[in-house]
Amino acid sequence: MSDLLATAAAAEDPAEGLRAVRALRALADRLEALHVARARDLGWSWQDVAAALGVSRQAVHQKHGRGR
Amino acid sequence: MFERFAHEAREAVVQGQVVARAMGAERFGAEHVLVGAARGHDSIAARALSRLGVDADQVESAVRGLPAEHLDAGALAALGIDLDAVRAQAEARFGPGALDGVRPQASSRRRPRSHLPFDAGGRKTLETALREAVRLRHNRIDTGHVLLAIVRLDDLPAARVLESLGLAPGDVDDAVTAAWADSPAA
Repeated sequence: MSDLLATAAAAEDPAEGLRAVRALRALADRLEALHVARARDLGWSWQDVAAALGVSRQAVHQKHGRGR
Repeated sequence: MFERFAHEAREAVVQGQVVARAMGAERFGAEHVLVGAARGHDSIAARALSRLGVDADQVESAVRGLPAEHLDAGALAALGIDLDAVRAQAEARFGPGALDGVRPQASSRRRPRSHLPFDAGGRKTLETALREAVRLRHNRIDTGHVLLAIVRLDDLPAARVLESLGLAPGDVDDAVTAAWADSPAA
């Protein structure tokens, strides 16, 4: 019975899932930075970039640089 | 906000910008301001650090040694993502080290920035420095307040730099207080 409970407890532990989310988010952030920089180099406006990412222009501008 | 900064604190920011650019950083963080403050001629931070047996070169080395947030290959593999494959693709498109934060060759179209923008941690550090000055009823924000702010914001890279130099928060507090006591009234 205690084995079953231990397994159930482990399955309920969100630590692994959260670790995966964190890793995925870090990867997504890196890729986003690369592609946004490329888009800007090619003359995309912040609005174009924001639309492609499905976020607001302000959010993209805040995250990827001012004075650029 | 910068009107309330003492000259040495403004200098620390300016020097920090120089350091950040020299390190090829994409954004300007509290850790760069820390180096700027440490290099400041006779700044409160420099004096406090000196009391703790730390010089500017050591601070700069520690900042250079900060590990970039690594990508967790194991966790990604559990999701079915082959990080090596993603990395290969990114490097094919953007150049070597692309996924690890190495800056791509600047395109001829990209205008050089006049300054590197602050990252969130850098902004938070300056806000916290202001609050420290207010708390202590000091008229101006100097590099001592910046150092105290870094200690308070213990999850930032700048705080990790202080840790890596073996500086405990309490020691930094004491050293800054002593440095203030030694200087003419602000």
